[in-house]
Amino acid sequence: MAAGTTGMTTRSSRRGPILALTILIAVLVIATTSAQSPRTQRIVSLVPSLTETLFAIGAGSSVVGVGSFDTFPPEVKQLPRVGALLDPDVERILSLKPNLVITYGSQTSLEAQLARANIRTYSYRHGGIAEVFESIKGVGRASGHAADADVLVSRLTSQLNALRARVKGRPRPKALLVVDRQPGSLREIYASGGIGFLHDMLEAAGGDNVFADVKKESVQPTTETLLTRAPQVILEVRAEGLIQPAAVAAERNVWAALAGVPAVRDGRIHFLSGSHLVVPGPRLIQGAEEFARALHPELFVASGGARAQ
Amino acid sequence: MKAVHAALDGDSRQSRHTLAARRPLRVRLTLTVTGFGMLALVTCLLAPLVGSTQISLARVFDTSIPFADNVDAQIFFVARLPRVLAGALVGGALASAGVVFQAMLRNPLATPFTLGVSAGSSLGAMLAILFGASASLGPLSPVPLASLAGAILAAASVYWLATRPGRPISTSVLLLAGVTLNSFFSALILFAQFLADYAQVYRAARWLMGDLDVGGLSPLLGALPLVMAAFALFAFLPGALNLLSLGPDAAAARGVDVARTQRIAFVSASLATAAAVSLAGPIGFVGIVVPHLVRLLVGVDHRIVLPASALFGASFLVACDLIARTFIAPVEIPVGVVTAMIGGPFFLWLLVRQG
Amino acid sequence: MLLQADHLHFTYDGTRSSAAGSGRTAVVRDVSVDVVPGAITGLLGPNGCGKTSLLKLLAGIVTPQHGRVTLDGVSLADRPRREVARTIAVVPQETHPAFDYTALEMVLMGRHPHLGAFQLEGPDDVAVALEALLATGTAHLADRAYVTLSGGEKQRVVIASALAQQPRILLLDEPTASLDLGFQLEIQALLTALNRDRGVTMVLATHDLNLAASICQRLVLMRGGAVLAQGRTEEVLTPSHIRDLYGVHAEVSLHPAAGHLTVVPVRRA
Repeated sequence: MAAGTTGMTTRSSRRGPILALTILIAVLVIATTSAQSPRTQRIVSLVPSLTETLFAIGAGSSVVGVGSFDTFPPEVKQLPRVGALLDPDVERILSLKPNLVITYGSQTSLEAQLARANIRTYSYRHGGIAEVFESIKGVGRASGHAADADVLVSRLTSQLNALRARVKGRPRPKALLVVDRQPGSLREIYASGGIGFLHDMLEAAGGDNVFADVKKESVQPTTETLLTRAPQVILEVRAEGLIQPAAVAAERNVWAALAGVPAVRDGRIHFLSGSHLVVPGPRLIQGAEEFARALHPELFVASGGARAQ
Repeated sequence: MKAVHAALDGDSRQSRHTLAARRPLRVRLTLTVTGFGMLALVTCLLAPLVGSTQISLARVFDTSIPFADNVDAQIFFVARLPRVLAGALVGGALASAGVVFQAMLRNPLATPFTLGVSAGSSLGAMLAILFGASASLGPLSPVPLASLAGAILAAASVYWLATRPGRPISTSVLLLAGVTLNSFFSALILFAQFLADYAQVYRAARWLMGDLDVGGLSPLLGALPLVMAAFALFAFLPGALNLLSLGPDAAAARGVDVARTQRIAFVSASLATAAAVSLAGPIGFVGIVVPHLVRLLVGVDHRIVLPASALFGASFLVACDLIARTFIAPVEIPVGVVTAMIGGPFFLWLLVRQG
Repeated sequence: MLLQADHLHFTYDGTRSSAAGSGRTAVVRDVSVDVVPGAITGLLGPNGCGKTSLLKLLAGIVTPQHGRVTLDGVSLADRPRREVARTIAVVPQETHPAFDYTALEMVLMGRHPHLGAFQLEGPDDVAVALEALLATGTAHLADRAYVTLSGGEKQRVVIASALAQQPRILLLDEPTASLDLGFQLEIQALLTALNRDRGVTMVLATHDLNLAASICQRLVLMRGGAVLAQGRTEEVLTPSHIRDLYGVHAEVSLHPAAGHLTVVPVRRA
């Protein structure tokens, strides 16, 4: 990658200083060719969580194109869209002349096409909180912001530990984390299984996932399963929507059909909205803190009580 | 000539004897309906007892435990019973719709989905998922409501394309209209899936596999009136269906009002299919396997086949759902997969048997 | 039971044409026919002359664009279908049931116009069906699947099904077309007997000149959708009419052994 050498000029020759300068130049050339200079980066990111990460580690100015479903930070709204997991627009991506493209791990044919065009790719791997931190570091390295990334990860790690400490010793309620269902009914419920970042967030926030034993990221429980597992708290989590009180009340009523479930009986159903809750990026500790407010409202009385509806 | 006359005399004696021994239709009908009715009742009573969780029947009916604390009772009454009732309703609706469409189209291979009602239903559901629809109508939540609307739109379109006022419907025009609409709606469904995001595509795919876990009696109340209306219309059909399956001219010559009968048949069968699909998604094979099995058992007289298929369809689907939720418990197989796994080999066997 | 056709005009184009000049040739053009009660009338003509369509019009199965068919002065369109079916029965050229009905079930379907809306057939209906099977010599086939029968057996079962309607008027479309010679004669005898013993009026559409000559007392000659001539057989079945109808020179004579007119085609005209 020769991009790093632009901007360097050669000075007029005088013997001693020339030698020093030449050595300096040589060192700089070597240094810059072994790592990307942030200023000359052109990055396209298809993955919303990694787009967020790029901005969080200071590489935001290098981002020239984002995926269809990116929403955070607000700056991305001005950027060109290049498709997403199912429909990446290769032509569009190439027209933006990127030198780094962040792709989903399953987009192998896209990666092959980009490799033929000599464009580096960084592949996103889905997983728990540990994988999220790994990908922050990985993106940091790929974009020349390794140091910033490390700083971010340590900050997030200490936030996470602080949260864990806060809920330690408190009784852990059995919790059901619902990420989607058919509106107005209890059909097609998608809940977090025992692996993945949502599960990790729930556990860190002091809740026991009712599906902790199911080693899948997503579970589609039947009515019978819900009654058997009997969660004490239900967290309904969405990227957006469900803000209006009337809509929330209507959706809460839907659960009344399962009156025997402890969470329904005790009225502990929380509707949480926001992309920080479902995007496995830098704001996920913030999301976990919101889970904790819902699971342990008594711990947060001083800071204004449970913010969840 | 003499030989024929002799045969006629012999005919006379032998046939009077045979026909005297033959059971009258009324008796055969009563026996069949009672038999299949008992089967349906037994299936519906036993099915809620079996499931992925062990429950104790004694606890279920133990009235000393408050309902809110009685998990066994909740599982029985809130999770399983509505599911079994949904299975019976959908199975009965699809099977009888299958019988009516097969008679109308004069083809034993017709299904309730041949004329595009299911495709319209799936498109409605797909659009509701895509646009995140949130409007409900009474007991019908957004996706079933949109799916019902789509089904009715498809049926109305086929009806409009294929009928002319007061005249009999040509079965070939009907079939053409139905198949065309099927293709058109399927193309729109694919397009909608293309526009959707990954989660929506997955949800749509799951809906298409069929699901009887209705979660309470409320969703059933949305489908029940429609199915009841369809069954009320079905009551007018069976004798006429026999005649209709001979062809419109033969039926008219024997006093059938062909245009009116065809319209009642189309509307009632479409209504039953629309209600069933909007409640549980498009569950295939019920509408074709059950009528075939019933005909193998009771003959082809529609006055017996129609009620018998409705009852056997209920038992069949409840049984398939039982398999679906217990075979590899706690994982559930989509019920549409189970009906397909039974339907496919059944037809292979039929084919081999005939050949 | 007087069945009359009055200036019938009919096309199959599926839409109502306002006038005769709709661009399509009418299948039946200005046809008026009086079906003499108690007689066997033949509709005779080459293929495509409109005899099958006229038969359907007479049965009330299709509606003419112009003109009307009346039964005892009342238009068929004004009578309920069930009532018409108790009087008029049709034996089509081919019957293809979509399901494996037995012969008895096929014949019992003929009882439909006599049953109420939700009524099931009773022992009387079964007796009528049995009698119809016996009359056509097919009682031994009662429990056989109709689709497994031979062409001749099928035709006789269909006739039995029409007889089960206990009609006063029987309309038949090419009733002997698929039958062996022996059964042709048998059906001819059956029809003649029904006509003579029970007074069943019959209208027979056929292109078989000798069949027409043998059992029809009256003939309606049709060509191109219009009536060429109609009247008693011996008056109408003449060599000149046959030449007009078929373009064939033929000899018509009374055959002493058969006891009726026979037609022998000689050469093309």
